[in-house]
This record gives sequence, C-alpha cells and structure tokens, in this order.
Amino acid sequence: MVPYDSDGLAGSAPSSSSSITKPPQIDGLLAGAGYKVPSSELRHVAQRLERLETAMLNSASHQLSLLASDAVLYNPSDLSTWVDSLLSELNQSQPLPSLPSDLSDLVPNSTALDSSWGMEHSLSQQQNQNISQHQQNQLMVVTALEEDSAIRLVHMLMTCAESVQRGELALAASLIENMQGLLTRVNTGCGIGKVAGYFINALSRRIFAPAGSISGVGSCYTYENELLYHHYYEACPYLKFAHFTANQAILEAFEGHDCVHVVDFNLMHGLQWPALIQALALRPGGPPLLRLTGIGPPSSDGRDSLREIGLRLADLARSVNVRFAFRGVAAARLEDVKPWMLQVNPKEAVAVNSIMQLHKLLASDPTRNPAIDIVLNWIRNLNLKIMTAVEQEADHNQSGFLDRFTEALYYYSTMFDSLEACAHHPEKVLAEMYIQREICNVVSCEGSARVERHEPLAKWRTRLTGAGFRPLHLGSNAFKQASMLLTLFSSEGYSVEENEGCLTLGWHSRPLIAASAWQAVPDVEPALGVIDNNGVVL
Amino acid sequence: MAGSNEVKQNESKRVVPLNTWVLISNFKLAYNLLRRPDGTFNRDLAEFLERKVNANTIPVDGVFSFDYVDRATGLLNRVYQPAPENEAQWGIVELEKPLSSTEIVPVIIFFHGGSFTHSSANSAIYDTFCRRLVSVCKAVVVSVNYRRSPEYRYPCAYDDGWAALKWVKSRTWLQSGKDSKVHVYLAGDSSGGNIAHHVAVRAAEADVEVLGNILLHPMFGGQKRTESEKRLDSKYFVTIQDRDWYWRAYLPEGEDRDHPACNIFGPRGRNLAELKFPKSLVVVAGFDLVQDWQLAYVEGLQKAGHEVKLLYLKQATIGFYFLPNNDHFYCLMEEIKNFVNPNC
Repeated sequence: MVPYDSDGLAGSAPSSSSSITKPPQIDGLLAGAGYKVPSSELRHVAQRLERLETAMLNSASHQLSLLASDAVLYNPSDLSTWVDSLLSELNQSQPLPSLPSDLSDLVPNSTALDSSWGMEHSLSQQQNQNISQHQQNQLMVVTALEEDSAIRLVHMLMTCAESVQRGELALAASLIENMQGLLTRVNTGCGIGKVAGYFINALSRRIFAPAGSISGVGSCYTYENELLYHHYYEACPYLKFAHFTANQAILEAFEGHDCVHVVDFNLMHGLQWPALIQALALRPGGPPLLRLTGIGPPSSDGRDSLREIGLRLADLARSVNVRFAFRGVAAARLEDVKPWMLQVNPKEAVAVNSIMQLHKLLASDPTRNPAIDIVLNWIRNLNLKIMTAVEQEADHNQSGFLDRFTEALYYYSTMFDSLEACAHHPEKVLAEMYIQREICNVVSCEGSARVERHEPLAKWRTRLTGAGFRPLHLGSNAFKQASMLLTLFSSEGYSVEENEGCLTLGWHSRPLIAASAWQAVPDVEPALGVIDNNGVVL
Repeated sequence: MAGSNEVKQNESKRVVPLNTWVLISNFKLAYNLLRRPDGTFNRDLAEFLERKVNANTIPVDGVFSFDYVDRATGLLNRVYQPAPENEAQWGIVELEKPLSSTEIVPVIIFFHGGSFTHSSANSAIYDTFCRRLVSVCKAVVVSVNYRRSPEYRYPCAYDDGWAALKWVKSRTWLQSGKDSKVHVYLAGDSSGGNIAHHVAVRAAEADVEVLGNILLHPMFGGQKRTESEKRLDSKYFVTIQDRDWYWRAYLPEGEDRDHPACNIFGPRGRNLAELKFPKSLVVVAGFDLVQDWQLAYVEGLQKAGHEVKLLYLKQATIGFYFLPNNDHFYCLMEEIKNFVNPNC
C-alpha cells in the first residue's frame, strides 16, 4: 500500500497572478484537526518535529518538567511556530525559574514577570482569512429541554420570531398570548422556562411598544445599571475572567516601560484596576508611573462618579507606592470620545482596554463613517502598546431577525444555565436582570438603540486585522491562570479554551466570552508594487 | 540512544502520509510533555493544547451537531445527525419526534480515544471523525465526554459510558423503525474501545439491548510483555512505557495490568460465555504494539461463543482513521457501514 499523497488543500485554485500577496495554502486535512500548516511547509515541520523528539530524548527529565510547567507557549494551532518555540526552549541551557503556584491574593504578577524569555509572536504570518464555517453559525448547548412544555415553548418562540421577521404582528401577538399561557405550565425557576420568560417579554416589547419608544433599555448608563453590573460581576466569572486575562496581557506589554497609560473604555466601578495596580507595585525594578483614563457616561445625579472611582483607585495606589494619576472622560457614547481628550503623552506606553464595548460601535449610520472605523483608527494612532478586547462570543448582529433571535436564545440559555450552577450569591437575581437587559436590547431594539451588537471572535479578527491591528497571542500562562481562577470561584461546567492565540471562557463546550489582545501594525509605505505576469500593478 | 530512535522514527514516516505523520507525531511529543514521571498529569497544559471545535446546528457537509448536558451528572454528549432534507428546518433541533417511524436509523454511541487521559468529545479530530461516521453510515452519532484519568480512575469512564447508554436509550427522539426503539451500537477507538466493551458487558447483564460493538484498535493489556509489544516498541508512535503510564493512571492505585478492566480474558477476566453479548467488529492495526492483546480479545470472544469479525489492517498505524488519506480509512468506513446497516 502506498500512502496517498498528503493532499487535501484548502484555499483557492492557483491563479496566474503573482503569489506574493496570496495567503499560503494550508493543508486542508490538518485544518480539520485544528492545525494550520501551509502545505509547502509540511516537510519542514516534520523535520522540526524529528529534531524536537531528539532534543526531548536528550533532555533530562527535570528539564522536560520545567518546560511543561514553566515555558509559556502560544497558539498551538500554528504548529510550525509552536514546534520551533519548544525547540528553542529546550536549547536554552540555563535552568528556568520556578513559579510560585500560590494564588491566594489573585494577583497576576508572578507568571508574567518570571518569564525571562520574550514572547514569541507569530509575526508576519498572515492570518488565515478563511473563517471556518463552523464558527460563523449557530452554537447550542442543550441543557434542560426535558419538559415537553419547555420544548414546545422553544418552538413557539421561534415561530413567533419568524412572524415578527415577516411583519405578521397579529400572529406574533397571539403567539405571545399562547406562550404566556404555556409559561404557567413550565418551571420558570430555572432552565429554559426562565429564559423563555425573558424572551417572551422582549418579544412583547418589540411587538407592542410603539416604534421608537424603546430607548431606556438601550441606555445602559444609569445608577441602576451599575448596580446590576456589580452583581453580574460577583455572581459569575465572566467579568473576572475578562479583567484577569486583560490585566495579564497589559502587565506583560508594559514590561520595561516607566510611563504607562491605561485607557479604560468603560470604567464602571473600576473593578479591574486594583489588581493591576498591585501587580505593577510588585514588579521587579519597581512600578512605573501609571496613568489611568476612565471613560464613562456623564453622571445623571450630580455626582462625579468617575472622579470618585478615580480617588479610590488613587488611594489604593498610594498605599502600595505606585505613582498614579487618574483622569475621567465623560461621554454618553464611546464614539463621542476624541483622542485629544485622553491627553496621551508621546513617551508613554498606552494600553487600551475594552471590556464588551467595541460592539456598541457597530450600529451603522448610513450618513456617516462607521463609528467603529473611526475609533479603531484613532486607537491605532495612539502610540498603542496593546489593546485588550473582550467580547461576547455570539453572532447577535446578524441582519435577519430570526437568526439573531435564535442565536440569542441559545446563547443566553447557556449563560443562564452557567449562572444557575454557580455558588449561591445573595443577589443573583440582580445579575440575571443585567443579562435580561442585554436580551431586551438584542431582541426588541433596532437602529442606534440596539447597541448590543455582539459579533464572534472570527469576525473581530477579520475586522481588526483589516483595520491595521495584529494579534498578540495570549499564552499558556494566561490559560493556566484563568483555569485556576475558575476553580476558585465557580462550578465545574466552566471551560477555558485556547483559540489561535485568544482565550475563551464558556459553559461546557460553548464559548461565551472571548478575550484577545492586539497591537497596531505600523504604517509602512510599500517599497515595491505587486505586479502580475502582464505587468499590471495589483 | 539517539541513533536507534532516529531509525525508529524513520520507519513510521515510511508507512503513513506526511500530514498524518505530522499530526500523530505532534500528539506524541505533546503528550510526552504532559505525562509526569510521578503519575500526575499536566491537565492545564493539555487543555491549552487541545484543538477543540464548537457544535453547529447548521449542517456542514450534510451533518449538524449540538451538545446536550445532562443536568444530573454534568456529563456532556455531543449529538451528530444527518441534515434535514428540508432546508427550512436547518438550525432547529428536534427533541420530540422520533428519527423515523418507518426506517431504522442506527444510533452509534461513540467513546473517543486518548488512553483514558487525553481528548474530549469536542476535540477537533474526534468531531471530524464523528461527522464522517454520520455521513458514511447515515447514522446518528452520540459522542460521550466521559471523565478522564488520572483525576478520575476506573470505573468512572465505564460509569459515564453506562449513563450515556441509558440516556440514549431513553430519548424518544432517538427512536426509529416500526418497533419504535433506539437502535444502539457502541463504538470507540483506543480507550474508547475498551469502554465500549465494558459498557456492553454491563448492558448485557442488565438486559439492555446493544446491537453491536465497534472497537477500533481498542486499548487492552496485561502484565506480561507480548511479542508484538517487544517488536514494535517505539517504532510507530507508541511506546510500552507510555502504555504503562496510562494504565497506572487509569487503574485503581496499586493494581497491575491483569486487572479485568485491562486484561479482558486474563486470569481475572470475567466469563462472558453466558452473557447475551452483542456482535463485535474489532479493527486491529498491524503496526500497533498492543495488537497481541487485541487479537487475544477476539479469540476470547470467539471461545465464549460470541460473534466477532476481525478487520486486520496490516500496514496501518494507530490513528490511521484521523485523516481520510489512505486505503485503510476507506476500508474501515465501509466495514462500519455494513456492520450497522439494518439490512444485514
């Protein structure tokens, strides 16, 4: 038997034009196994694997143990780079410092600072632009569809959403009535019954409220919403994961810099920053001068809440001897912020931190330039060291209402299930209300009022690389820390996954939140044009 | 002894396609890093390295999937089904009506491999494999995310397998045929094959009907070193040493490899003769060092009077079915299709 030619190429058929700008064709079969290897590199990767095996065989077992526990590894999907990074780890002769495994104060300091070798990024390798079909479509974890009535409820919800899409509002309204009746026969304390209730409610608002009147739900900026946010933060690990992972990346990016500036796109209560301040305080060589610019809505009740938070953070910084300056930028919407308001100093290393904010810029007003493009552009030009972005891992910005609705139903069902499984938090119902507001916005709002325009990681990758950013991979150390965080706070169903340099947190096998880090690609004037065989500049 | 190891490496390179070699070698080396000499396992790094894929209710290449978490046990099952013919029904998961009231649709409960320690139901390699099974057999596949060692030892994997079997049997939406029952087959590769065997035994004891077992180079063993183990040690991706590690991680502490979980027809094996055991398809790879144990298993089944078909693929290594780039893969798929075909 002769082994088949290891073919199965993904990517388009070769064309006659120059291949300089084409992404390399990757081996399609390995792609199905989760690995991106250009076909032309297969042989090279095989050789490196052989060399790695020899190196591993020649290493003492304690060296291998250290490699496994201490080395920071990135993006295992990129097999070539991964094998090479392991090889270079093994070739280093000095013993690696061991990491303290004590996480009692939950400060993400040790792992970042003890990594004495730089981060290996897979630079210059163009991200594979083919968004896998798997990632674009609807994900679902069925957790509690045991009751017949519950199943029927789900079917009715879909039918109702479909009638809404078709404009058959009378039909939709009668379905709402039926569903409300069914709700009485279903356990609404948990599972799909509870979630169904929220979705029926959201659909009602859409159907029965006069056009244009739904706004309060969309505007997140009230004291009430801050309270709900706080309980959401406490009751489940999503925000903690976001903060933790972003801080890790920011800490690593700030290494070696004496003046650093963090721009937080949504300060809220500033819950993310004490940990970073403490980590910076413990940095070998001493802390940098830290500036924090917190963006938030103007206070409606006469308090200057941004300033209050800033003062509290300043107190903390003072107590740990970190030179700290705070500035609040009040803006009703993120797109109202102009870069000059941030007063970035050319000497400082800037980190932009966006926890579930970027998607709000996606509402497109046909009369103006898309807000997302404007904002991404000025971020790039900010002397950016790193941008940390955490987003909901869901496709809630699809144009078709039914698709959006279905995706949201599955997404929030999963999220509610995860919440239920968490340790009892006294005001869990308030956390649920926070989520409910998101549901309402996705389902019952349109136009500029619909701000919860979540898009999945694959789409953000395309958008951000197209806007002149390149990924900074989150590595195995961040992964490990995130996993440990989960064991401290939550129940067994949560899972952290590595996704081509990004980390996702999900419930069982469904990712719900995705964290990624980015840096700006410097503008380079092309020295050479790309010319095809006919001498035409492409 | 770098020299002789290099010779051994080159042998495996000659019998598998290059991309298969890259895939399995990568696993081998990564796994070497994860197994610690003291018997513990670097689970964090393992999960970081594992390539996973999401389920997808929208059909891709004629197959869709969704995950079902059993609230009582926390066990996750990933269900794969052929796409509905009517495109308007894509994305909707049917959890009430049976698969068919006229035709028989086999439901294959699949236990992924990984020597009881690695991989998950949502691992890319297994998700892909299960999808191919659905396409080829026109069956429904339920992939079980059983608890793994060393954190969960014997008999956890078997308990989870048994729970999955009961769960599948009790789903009205997995029923088919005029007799309205769930037509179940058990299948698995490596440790999954071992699990399939033990779940089938439990099912036979409890009079729960399983129509057939499909064991893809199942993970069996024993205390003594067999000829194939000695001859093939280190040559085709697998070593005796790593097999030993996995058994130590799975079996109860202090036990040896003649434990009945491992050595089915050994000195402590259970007598299967009186059991109403299902028919078996056992696939053995000619370059698998464990083959003597697998062949002994086949012989043991025959001696106990049970129907078993052996598919011996002389030139195959372990994991030959991960990529559809060789004859063995197609041969295997054909055999499985015929095995679960209700008309056979």
